[in-house]
Amino acid sequence: MGNNLKKKISLISFLLVPIIYFWDPNWLEFLGVQPYWPLFWLLPWSMIYGSFDGLIIGLFLGLILDSLNLESSFTQIPGLVLCGIWFGKLSISNNVFVWHFRFGLISSIASFFCGSLYFLQILVKYSFDHTIFLYLPSIKNIFAQVFVTGLLAPLICSLLFRLFKASKGRDKLISFIDK
Amino acid sequence: MVDIRRISTNRWWNKKNNWGLFVFLSFLFFVRISKGSLYKDFYFLISKPFWPGQFQREVLTKSVEQEFLISLKQLEKDNRRLREILSLQRLSDSESIAASVISRKNGSFWRQIILNKGAKDGVEIGSFVVGPGGLLGRVDNTSLFTSSVKLLTSPESQVGVWIERIQIHGLLVGSGNDYPKVIFYNKDVDVKVGDFVLSSPASTLLPPNIPIGIIQSVDEEFKAKKTANILLLGKPQAIDWVQILKVEI
Repeated sequence: MGNNLKKKISLISFLLVPIIYFWDPNWLEFLGVQPYWPLFWLLPWSMIYGSFDGLIIGLFLGLILDSLNLESSFTQIPGLVLCGIWFGKLSISNNVFVWHFRFGLISSIASFFCGSLYFLQILVKYSFDHTIFLYLPSIKNIFAQVFVTGLLAPLICSLLFRLFKASKGRDKLISFIDK
Repeated sequence: MVDIRRISTNRWWNKKNNWGLFVFLSFLFFVRISKGSLYKDFYFLISKPFWPGQFQREVLTKSVEQEFLISLKQLEKDNRRLREILSLQRLSDSESIAASVISRKNGSFWRQIILNKGAKDGVEIGSFVVGPGGLLGRVDNTSLFTSSVKLLTSPESQVGVWIERIQIHGLLVGSGNDYPKVIFYNKDVDVKVGDFVLSSPASTLLPPNIPIGIIQSVDEEFKAKKTANILLLGKPQAIDWVQILKVEI
C-alpha cells in the first residue's frame, strides 16, 4: 500500500493542488494574499521531468484552475505553461543551501511573472474603462504574492522534489515521455 | 507468427500506460466541462467537519434584523416614490437559504467564496448573497452540493448602485482589493463621505435598496467622471454564514 502510494505520489499530489487552492488557509496570508499554490507543485515536477512535460502539465494545471475560478475572461494557462517550460530547463544544485534558496528565488520570479500576465489580461480587457483603479491594488497583490510564495517555496518545493525524485520512473501515467 | 504476435502486443490499445493516460485526460476534460464541480463537491465532503459553528448564526440573525429595519424604512420611502412605476426586480416570495462559507478566496485577483448549498438545495445562478451588513455578491456557478459566489470586490464584478440621499445612480466596480469603487458618470455629483450606497432600483440584476456600503472617500474628478471608495458593510473575509436570496423578474 505504502509502496503503491509512493509510486503514484505525482498523480495524487497533482489532484490535490485544487483542494489546497480552495482551502487557502488564512494564517498563511500576507497582506490578505495567499501564495500561488500551483507553482509549488509545478517547479519540482518540471525540474525532474523536463521542459516538454512541464509545458503539458502547466497547461493541465491552468485548465483545472481556470475551471475553478469564476473570472471566465482571464486565464492562468500562459503563465503556468511558460513557467513549466522554464522550470524544465533548470539544473539541480548539489549545495543544500543554494538549492533551497533557488527554490525560493525561482518561485518568486515565477509568481511575479504569472501575476503580471494575469494583470495584463485585466488591463487589456478594461483598457477603455476603469483600468486606473486596478493599478495600485493589483501591484500590491502581485508583490505580496511574490513574497509569500518565495517564503514558502524552499520548504514545500524541496519536500515535493524529494518525493517526486523518489517516485520518478515508477509512475508512468503522469510522465508523458519515456526517457 | 512471432512477428504478428509482437505487432499485436505493440498496438497502442494493448498498452496499459496509454489507457492510464486516456483516463487521466478524460478526467481533465470532465473537470474542465463541469467547471470543477467534482472538486467542489469533494471539497464539500472533506471540509464538512471544519464548517463554522452556531455562534456565527446568532450574530448573523441579529445583524440581519438590523439590516431588515434599515431596508424596510428604505422600501417604504421607495414605495411612496415609485407608486406608479413598475419595479424591474423584486425579491422572491420564497424563503432565503442559509449557507455557510466553506472556501474563501478574497486576496489577490481571485475573489470568490464557495457555499455549502448547491443545486440540490435549490440555489440558482444569479441569486444574490447577503451577509451580516449587506450584499456580498452573486451566485455565478453551482454544483450539486456547492455554489460559487463572485464577490463585489472581484475585478469582474459590476453592479448598479445609487446614493439614496441625492438619488444619483452609479456603477460599483471591484478593484481587486477590499474597497470597490463607485463611478458616477457626472462630475458635479454632490456625494459626501458617509453616504449610504444601496443597490439601484434600476438594476436588472439585483432587487432595489439592498445595503451595500458607505462612502469612505471621494476621489478627484477625472474625465467627466467622479469616483468614490466604498467601505463594504458585509465583510466577506470575516463572515462564515450567509443567506442566498433568489431574484424574480
